[in-house]
Formats: sequence, C-alpha cells, structure tokens
Amino acid sequence: MKVTRDVLKKIRFFDNYTEKQLDIIAKLSNIKEFRVKQVLFEQYDELSDISVLLEGTLSMGISLAGEKRIHLGTIEEGQLFSWSAVFSPFISTAWVMSVTPAKILSIDAKKLNKEIEKDCDFGLKTMSKIAQTISHRLGDTRFQLMNQLTL
Amino acid sequence: MLTEKNIYKPVMAKLTEVIEESPLIKTFVLIPEKEFSFRTGQFIELSVDGIGEAPFTPSSSPLITEKLEVTVMKTGYVTEHMHKLKPGINMGIRGPFGRGYPVEMFYGKEVLILGGGCGLAPIRSLLYALEGVKDKLKKVILCYGSKTPADCIYKPLFDRLNKTEKFEAYRTVDRADEEWDGSVGVVTTLLNKIKITIDESVAIVCGPPVMMKFGTIRLLEMGYKDEQIYLSMEKNMSCGLGKCGHCMMGEFFVCKDGPVFTYNELKGTPDIWK
Repeated sequence: MKVTRDVLKKIRFFDNYTEKQLDIIAKLSNIKEFRVKQVLFEQYDELSDISVLLEGTLSMGISLAGEKRIHLGTIEEGQLFSWSAVFSPFISTAWVMSVTPAKILSIDAKKLNKEIEKDCDFGLKTMSKIAQTISHRLGDTRFQLMNQLTL
Repeated sequence: MLTEKNIYKPVMAKLTEVIEESPLIKTFVLIPEKEFSFRTGQFIELSVDGIGEAPFTPSSSPLITEKLEVTVMKTGYVTEHMHKLKPGINMGIRGPFGRGYPVEMFYGKEVLILGGGCGLAPIRSLLYALEGVKDKLKKVILCYGSKTPADCIYKPLFDRLNKTEKFEAYRTVDRADEEWDGSVGVVTTLLNKIKITIDESVAIVCGPPVMMKFGTIRLLEMGYKDEQIYLSMEKNMSCGLGKCGHCMMGEFFVCKDGPVFTYNELKGTPDIWK
C-alpha cells in the first residue's frame, strides 16, 4: 500500500504537520505487515526505521543475557516505536514482537534525519513528538519501578 | 444538647456473603437492619465486635439502600480479621461520612476514570451511579491497572461495561502471566489508546498513592486543568468527623472535607501522594 498524505492524516502522531511536511514523510515511508508472534526486531539490533503502529497490537520488552523475554509493555495503535533509529548509536533498547497481525508505518530514519536538519519547523515538531514518546516511556518506567518498590 | 442521631452508634448489618475477588481482596455483602443510603465516593466505618473499626468506601450502587457491598483488601489487623469472617455474623456500620463524587457536575461531559488495584472498589460504586444517569453523560471510559491478572478484581464488570452504551473499559497489568493476552504496562499506558475530548471531560483518579501521582501527572500533560481532575484520597480516616486528626492533609480533614477533592483544591498541599 502506497503511503500518502491522507494515510498520515489519520494517524494521531502526525497531528499539526503541514501538508507539505506530510508529503515529505510519505515519501520516506512504507507499510509493513507482520504475522502473529513475529519478532520485528531484537534488543541491541541496529535500527534503520522509526515506526508507528497502524493496526494490531505489539509487545515490547527486554531480554537479560539471552534469557527468556521479559514483557514490559504493549504498543497500541497510533503509538511511535523504534525511536532509537533516529539517535546514535541507532541500537534498539528493547525487542518488539507482534501479538496480533500488525501493520506498521515504517519511516527511513537516515532520510528523516536529513529532512530534520533541512527544515527547523519540521525538525522541532518531529523531535518534540519523539521526545514526548520517550518522556512517557520514562514516566511509565518510573511508575513501574515505584510500584515494585512499594510492594 | 442531645441530637437525634448518635453518630458514634453503628447500624448493625448481617454479613450474608463473602466474595473472593483476588488472593488479597474480598467483597462483603451486608444487609443493614435499616435502609442505609450514601452518596457514591463517601466512606463508612465498618466494625467487627472485639476487633475494631476501619474506613471503607462502599463498592455497591448508591441507588440500592437495602444492601451494601464493601470490598476489603487485607492490609492490617482489622482487615486480616475481616478476611476470616463467615456469612451470618453481624457487623457495624457508621456513616456515611465525607464528600463524595459530585455526579451532577459530570452531566453533559465525558468522564475518564483511572483506577488501580483496590481503587476499583469506590470506582465500581461510581460506575453504578453513572450508569443510572448515562443519558445525561457523553461517555464514560474506565482505564484500570492491576499488578497481575490474578490481582484484577470484578473481572465480569469489564465485559458488562463494554456492552453498555456510552461505556468503554480497558484493563492492563504490570506483569503478564502465560494466559494473559491483553495490555501490559502501567495504567497510564492505556491513555495512549483512548479517544477523549479533554475540554469536554472530567477525569477521576482512584488507587494506590503511586498510581494517583503518576496518573495525575499524565492527565495534566494531556491538557487537563487542575479543576477537571477529581482525586479520591483514601487516607487513614478514623473518627469520620474531622476531630481526631488522623487523616489530616495540610489544612484538610480528608474524612470531612474529602475523600473526593479536585486536584485544584489539593495542589500545593504537602504529602498528598503519601
């Protein structure tokens, strides 16, 4: 399926982008589909794409020294993930696996970074949204940690 | 001066059923000797002869006055003894005390409820009250988190709400087990999947202090104003009359001025999340 501006308009993550900016993202994007229980990427994998979940549910977690997977959270429709693809060293901090059949929007991170450098407004919007995702993850992790400490 | 009602004298109630909700939580079904009415969110003092008294917010419908349900988590001396009780004995009820949810203020709005752990007990009562006035509400969304699937209480409630017009209910767990195929993560992660018009809504938070704190922070980040957020502060209420001071929080007696407050009222009060 071809990614168009209209496809992106339906995704909450792209609220506030101008039509021109949506066209830029559309050009850098493609849609990928995954079966149930398919690993999208492993922890410590080098990532090339930043992604938004369009349909389905994904689980996310960590593995300790190759031991069994620890499931830390669920990625819901409309959420951004694999943000490590945008920041050096471009290494994933978690594994992601599909819980149900899933469709994701995959954006070429190298090309996205070039667009961010070219256009300040586009760059600020994108980085703010990524920072918000990371901030929420950090807040949720603190919440989880406090829950454990107050058991 | 003598008053008509002795506020220290409990109304006796027969324990007719004990429902095990989770390994640590039980619901006690009580039939009071006379009709007992309360406003959702208000609390009662429940006593057992020879053991003691403890505060609880009823988990049953405020529209039903002949039966009362109280959900109790085993956390201390009194609650541990309560968990050993069998149907047939008499318990004492004092109250209701304090300020409950101002349900009329929610008319015409979307109501977002964020609950955690045993905080679902007062929320269940609120949900019953909201179901009674659903024609006057835009919609009601419940987001609930428990530590594990086994710790989730009132499991049938979620299916029932999802089949009720204008109601949506979501659950998550901190730690999944082999059989769990729902959301994993703290309750705030559920806020990523809901659709709500913040300007036309109110948010209600009830649960353990950690959850109340992080839940309130996330609601503020989402754009909720202080006065749109209602907090049910379950503190160490004792006398229920604003006299003993056990539940004091800044300038407030939680038992008398609360337990339901807006965040606007509490903001700046020390130790509200303790």
